Amino acid sequence: MSKIMTVDILSSIKGAKPSESVNKLFDVIKNANQNNNATNTVHNNVVSLDDLREDVIVESSSLEKEIIRENFPREKNGFLVVAKVIED
Amino acid sequence: MSKEITCTSLVQEKLGLLKQNTHNTVNSLLAETALALAKKVDAKIENGEEIGLLEGIPFGIKDVYMVQGTYTTASSNLLKKYKAAYTATSIQKLLDAGAIPLVKENCDAFGHGSSSENTIFGAVKNAINSELVGGGSSGGSAVNVAKDYTVFSIGGDTGGSIRQPAGYNKVYGFKPTYGRISRYGLMAYASSTDCVGPIAKSIEDIRIVLNVMSGKDVRDQTSYVSEVVSEDLHTSKVKTVGYYTNFIESDAISKEIKADFLSTLEKIKAKGIKVKALDFFNADVLVSTYYTLAMAETASNLSRLDGTNYGDRVEGKNLKDTYAITRSEKFSEETKRRIVGGNQVLSQGFSDEIYLKAQNLRNQISARFSEDFETVDVVLSPVTPANPPKIGESLNDPLAMYLSDAYTVGFSLGALPTLTIPKGTSTGLQITAGKKKDAEVLQFSNFLNDIL
Repeated sequence: MSKIMTVDILSSIKGAKPSESVNKLFDVIKNANQNNNATNTVHNNVVSLDDLREDVIVESSSLEKEIIRENFPREKNGFLVVAKVIED
Repeated sequence: MSKEITCTSLVQEKLGLLKQNTHNTVNSLLAETALALAKKVDAKIENGEEIGLLEGIPFGIKDVYMVQGTYTTASSNLLKKYKAAYTATSIQKLLDAGAIPLVKENCDAFGHGSSSENTIFGAVKNAINSELVGGGSSGGSAVNVAKDYTVFSIGGDTGGSIRQPAGYNKVYGFKPTYGRISRYGLMAYASSTDCVGPIAKSIEDIRIVLNVMSGKDVRDQTSYVSEVVSEDLHTSKVKTVGYYTNFIESDAISKEIKADFLSTLEKIKAKGIKVKALDFFNADVLVSTYYTLAMAETASNLSRLDGTNYGDRVEGKNLKDTYAITRSEKFSEETKRRIVGGNQVLSQGFSDEIYLKAQNLRNQISARFSEDFETVDVVLSPVTPANPPKIGESLNDPLAMYLSDAYTVGFSLGALPTLTIPKGTSTGLQITAGKKKDAEVLQFSNFLNDIL
């Protein structure tokens, strides 16, 4: 079953609607000349698989943890308070 | 004229100027830290210890960089009380070199803008004429440098956000090759073009700060090992300069900027350098390609900002409602416009028609740059088609604001090194070279400085 997601739902912004100014930019793209050969010829910012960082856990400092807690929008007994997750 | 001054006095003087200033450049001052660091530098000098090039030099930081324990708001309502838990690599390198951070600087929220009016801290006023915009998105940083409130400032450039405000305030602003400086700790706007870069009053200062911040960082996999740009900038080997005819023959360029740019080309020719006219993509294609991709990336990057773990949460009746109310109330109109645009192009049915086409165009643009830099050593272009607008004028016409980025966004899509110098036209000149040829850009700029 497919469900149509409107941009306000996709963006989590109430009442959001596409903007006319932005749509004008998209119209330029739709009408621009395309070069079928270009798609796979240039690899922007590709990272080599031989050069990936170590897959290790780095423990945060106690100061870092303290600031993260300080940033909690709502806190109770040192825990982050969030609303109950309700499945649709 | 030279005078001796303690580091503490220098820092106090700059903090005083920043505090009193009416250009809306300051989001928060780092007075306590700055004065403590200055004291340490004074003690080192007193003890006869050697100090580094940047030691004791006061600088500013666009408020999109993490600096541990400081408010890092991105000039947004949603993050107005957010404190960074860690420090960005680029800023840490400057701190390690002894530079002293004074201020988190005003900018367009999340980098979304070209005028530094999309901010909760008040529109940044131009350094030269305070009725005009400071440019954006790194407007506060450029104005602070222009007014001598900071010796240099660190801006962020995704589509021109260092180069354009540098041009509007008549200072130098450099966007290095993508990846030369780690993006770790820079709040992400469009990750595939986001660049860290310096704004300063001389090419030499740009060079010093660039060298300190450059280098591979395991925490940004797109960063790379680069060579130090040498002190000797007096050896430009440029034989051919290119320029894009589309930029100059456009209806959008002001008569004055066009005439000044063409006269600059004549001065270059008079020095025996060949000037070659090049064809390029039209401004509307460049701007549309850039904004399509940037909006898609920012929609994805900002999806984490929902008020759950941090940020100014507005409680709703359940979790999803909390997300939506928080984002609706706390994001600015411009930020919402970009998020919605990004989700439009990424959604089923639109991604093939718009997003993938824009990616294809980006590849064509990159390929064209590669071809062009086979025949020319550098490309010269104006920074903007027109002079800075009055404060308030851009906000009602987003399309006009997007189009004003016509000359800067292409080089971002190409990941190329580009420097704005405050010469040649009323909003400066951009000098661009091929990928990783940052040194050549600075050398040629030095040459231009001598002849203009």
